[in-house]
Formats: sequence, structure tokens, C-alpha cells
Amino acid sequence: MKILKSKGHESVLAPIWNWKITAFAAALLFFVGILAISFGPVSLGFTEIIKTLFGLPGGLTGQDRTLLIDLRLPRALLAALVGAALATSGAVYQTVFRNPLADPYLLGAAAGAGLGATIALTSAGANLYSLLPIFAFFGAILAVLVSFFISGKFFAEPNSLLLSGIAVGSFATAVQTYLQQRNSSSLRPVYSWILGELTVANWQVVTWSSIYILIALIILITVSKQLDGLMLTDEEAYSLGINPNKLRVIAVVAATLATATAVSASGLIGFVGIVVPHLVRGITHRVTNRGLLTIALVGASFLVLADLGARTLLSPAELPIGVITAFVGAPFFLVVLRKKRLVNQ
Amino acid sequence: MFKVKPALIKVVVATLAFSFLALNPTQAATAIPKRIISLSPSATEILYAIGAGNQVIAVDDLSNYPSTAPITKLSAFSPNVEAIMNYKPDLIILNADATKALEVKAALEKLKIKVFLERAPLDLKQAYLEITALGRATGKISGAQSVISDMKIKISAAIKKGKTSKKITFFHELDNTLYSATSDTFIGKVYQDFKLVNVADKAATADSAGYPQLQSEYVIKSNPKIVFLADAQYGESLETLSKRAGWSGIAAVKNKNVVSLPEDIPSRWGPRLVDFYEFIASSIAKVK
Repeated sequence: MKILKSKGHESVLAPIWNWKITAFAAALLFFVGILAISFGPVSLGFTEIIKTLFGLPGGLTGQDRTLLIDLRLPRALLAALVGAALATSGAVYQTVFRNPLADPYLLGAAAGAGLGATIALTSAGANLYSLLPIFAFFGAILAVLVSFFISGKFFAEPNSLLLSGIAVGSFATAVQTYLQQRNSSSLRPVYSWILGELTVANWQVVTWSSIYILIALIILITVSKQLDGLMLTDEEAYSLGINPNKLRVIAVVAATLATATAVSASGLIGFVGIVVPHLVRGITHRVTNRGLLTIALVGASFLVLADLGARTLLSPAELPIGVITAFVGAPFFLVVLRKKRLVNQ
Repeated sequence: MFKVKPALIKVVVATLAFSFLALNPTQAATAIPKRIISLSPSATEILYAIGAGNQVIAVDDLSNYPSTAPITKLSAFSPNVEAIMNYKPDLIILNADATKALEVKAALEKLKIKVFLERAPLDLKQAYLEITALGRATGKISGAQSVISDMKIKISAAIKKGKTSKKITFFHELDNTLYSATSDTFIGKVYQDFKLVNVADKAATADSAGYPQLQSEYVIKSNPKIVFLADAQYGESLETLSKRAGWSGIAAVKNKNVVSLPEDIPSRWGPRLVDFYEFIASSIAKVK
């Protein structure tokens, strides 16, 4: 909460959240989405694209219509879903662990998913290639579950969960590296999966991932008001009528569901979970979790834009999207960080 | 004038003579290796074809051809010097792309083992040079020459059979995320020999090694007449391709000209290249 202006001796607090910011983020996502589906190696007319989208006469037909409806649209939607999932989970993890560096991959989800994907890619004989998303999904969930159980008491101590998450992650990475070393032919597919990619986007992937991600986001946004209580000490949270342990479990489970889905649909896209929450908090000068919906919308826009870059910079070739999110995200993040520090001084 | 002690001169002369003996390259070249380890599937195929097979005592875990080759657990990808030394070899064929290839080479040479560093050829000419060099290193020069001349005859016959003046476009698929190979790669040059038009060439600048990742939209729009699947062993086929969004309209899919490439052969630059050329020739014949 930021003090806006002073009237004599008493200070007036800024409202905790402003719906206009959320509306702006939604408009931004819409605009970015239209932009993203307007560009590709094949040039399609802008008015035709709009007409096709809204089902008006005079839209695209034949192959061009397929390109738009079955390739560009699902890809943009998947980018939006994954961006929203990673950004929201990142924000929630940062609150739960009271750590600004927390990201959705913290509890071993990334390493677990990586191990699952590698198992699918290296499995001799049995053809598990098509099951890669399922392996990655359960790898992520399993790694987080193991971190939970190793850390003992659920969340009595967020730091011990964090440490066991790191240990589980290292262990999964070790097994993954071993498998990779034994199956050198899988090196390139594993590597490109780790960098993250949305190339496999189709309506089927969009449908199943949207179910899990939307459920998780709805849960998180519903509890967003209480999540602010986790930024205080546990005693203070109790005094506000919040059960911090229960809330932490709900928050981490939902965030993990969103992350695991995002990872299994698109690989390990880095930096979104850290950059976007800090970006939104930095620009709006508000740390409250009531901005969670906005963080989701901005995360979605960020990844849709990054994917546009991935598709166009080397066209007709692809650039792994993880390269763009980190390349653009890191410097941007530093600027926000610096500004924030100057404000605080 | 200095007065040089005769004893000192003797020492200097002895040292020079010794180092000359140690470094004498002709002496090293004349010794025919009897205990060869091949850490390259392509080199294994070449060694057996040129008649050096009975000098080979061990091959790496991926050298699955010919079936008589003494396959072991030795890794070509990350060679282990101690495991190699266990076989008491006198010549190691090492792939230059192996993990820390130069360090491994130095370590082996320190142990007085000869190392043949094999580089992946960029075209057919380099592949022939590689075979010649392997022949020289193993004392099978004439064997290598006859393998090469045999390959040359058969490959040019295959090219003659498959070559076409029509502009036949193709897409070579490495995996289902649409990595491909341009005409700058070894395999791309094979297709080029048949005058096929590679749709990946438009993305040639994207990857210096010649393996760009193409966009689905672009592949659909470029409408290749043939699709070569290097990922057939991972379950891709005409059926899976036709299920991809927008792919059922591609000429190759519509006319069922989706070709599953055989395993291993396209990635080896040994005598079985002939098989690969003949395979491509007959695939083109179906489209013409």
C-alpha cells in the first residue's frame, strides 16, 4: 500500500486495487492477441482475419482459414494460457514463501517435468513420444509431492519445504542427465523441450490445458484476498481469521497444477513467473495479491508477444520462446527493479 | 673459442637421436595397427568394408553394423580413456564431435596410443577422403580405393535413375517439432544431388549448422511433394501427419508420398550411403 498524498498530518491511503488497471490489462491482451495472429510466414489480410474471427462474411477460406484457425489461433491461446499460469503461480509462490525470488519451478516442478519428458524421449522400445505431456505433467506433480513429504509437516516452515524442493530438483536433474548421457540421440529433443516451445499447439492441447489452468487460476483468484495475510507473520494471519497453513496448501497445490499443466504443454519457459509479477507490482506500486487477475492477464500478453517474436524473428524458422522471454524479460526486469529502488530511497 | 667437453657433445647427440626416433613420423605410419577400437558407427562400417575388420577388437555401443562387429559398452558419445585402455588397443577411431574429443585424444596419445580423429564430412567428397584416410591408417589402402570406386559407380547410377528436371519440393523431417536439414548439411547434399528442392533452404540462415526448426504454417504453405521422415522410428507416419492441423492439404500427404527413412543409414557416411542414394532414387521414382 502506498501513501498517495498527505493532507496535513493524516495520510490518505491509495485504494488497495483499482479495477481500471485490470481492464487495461485485459484490453492489452486482446490487442496483443490480434497482433499475434496477424503475423506469420504466410501473409494474411488483416480485414479478412478480423472477419473470419467474428464469423462475418468475406473471411478467409480454404488453406488460409486452416492456417489461422488451426495453427495461429491455438498457438496464441496456448501462449496466453501458459503465460497466465506461470505468472500467477510465480506471484503466489512469492507470497507463500515470502521470497521475491520464488518462481513456479521452485519446488522441483521443472526438474520433475524435465525428468518425465526425458523418460518419454529416451524410453527404448516402447513408443512414449506421444505421451510426453503426460509424463512431464506427472513428473512435475510427483516432484512437488515428494518435496512436500520430505519436508515433513505441511508448511509449518515454508523454508524447509523450499530446501527440500531444491534437493528434489537436483536429484531429478541428476537422473535426467544420466538418462540423457545414456541416450545421446535424445539430446536435441530434450534440449529443445527444456528451452520451451509452443510449436505443438493445437486445439486438443489448448482444450485440456485450459481446463486445468483455468480451474487453478479461479481457485487462486478466489483466495487472493486472503493470500495477502500470508505476507504477515503467521500470528498476525491467525488474528485476521486466516489459517495460514491451510491457505498455503491450497495456494501451492493450485499453483502447482497450473505450472505442471503449462510445463507439460510447452516445456520449460523461464522467467515469466518472476518478471511479470514484479513488473505489475513495480508499475502499479501495489504488492497486494488482489492484482492476481491483472498479473495473469499481463503474463498472458507477455508470452503471446514473446511467441510472436519466436515465430517472426527467424521466419520461416523458429526461435525457442524461452530465449526471448529471458532476453527481453531480464533487462526489463532490471529497469523496474532499479526504479523501485530509487522510489524507495 | 670455447672448449666444449666431449662428454657434453655425446649427451646432446644422444638426446637428439632419441627424440628423433621418438618423433619419427614415417616409422609410426608404417606400423599396421592390429588392435583397433572404433568409437564411430560410420567408421566401423567403413573398416569392415575396406577389409580391416579382423584388426578391430572393439566398437562402441552404437556401432550396430555389420552385425559381426564386436559391439561393447564403450561410449562413442562420451569416451572413457580407462575403459578404452582396458582393451590394450593400438589405434582408436575417435569422433571429433565426442565429448571433450581433443582432451581424450591427448590423454590417449600420452599413453602412446595412436588416435584417428574422424570429422563428420560435409559432403560426399569429404566422405571419400575419410575412407581413404582410414585405409591409410589401417594399411588397407587398396581396399579403401576399391570401396570408393564401387560407391562412385553405384551412387552415380542411383542419381541417374532418380534425377529429375521437374522441380520436386520436399521436406525432410527430423522430429515432430519440425526440425529439418538444409542443403548445407550432408544429408541435404544427398537430396541436392537429385536436384530436389528443399523447403528448409529458406530458413538456411537460422542455424549455422543447417538444422533449422521450421514453422508448421510455412511447411504447409510451401506444399512439399515428398516428405521424408527421419523420425519414423519415433512413431511419425503418413497417418500422424494427416492428423496435424492443416497438413492433410499438403501434396505429399494428399498423394501419400510420405517416406519413412530407414534407421541409421541416413546418418552414416560409410559404404551404405549407396543404399541411401538408391532408396531416395526409388522414392522419387514414385512421384515422377
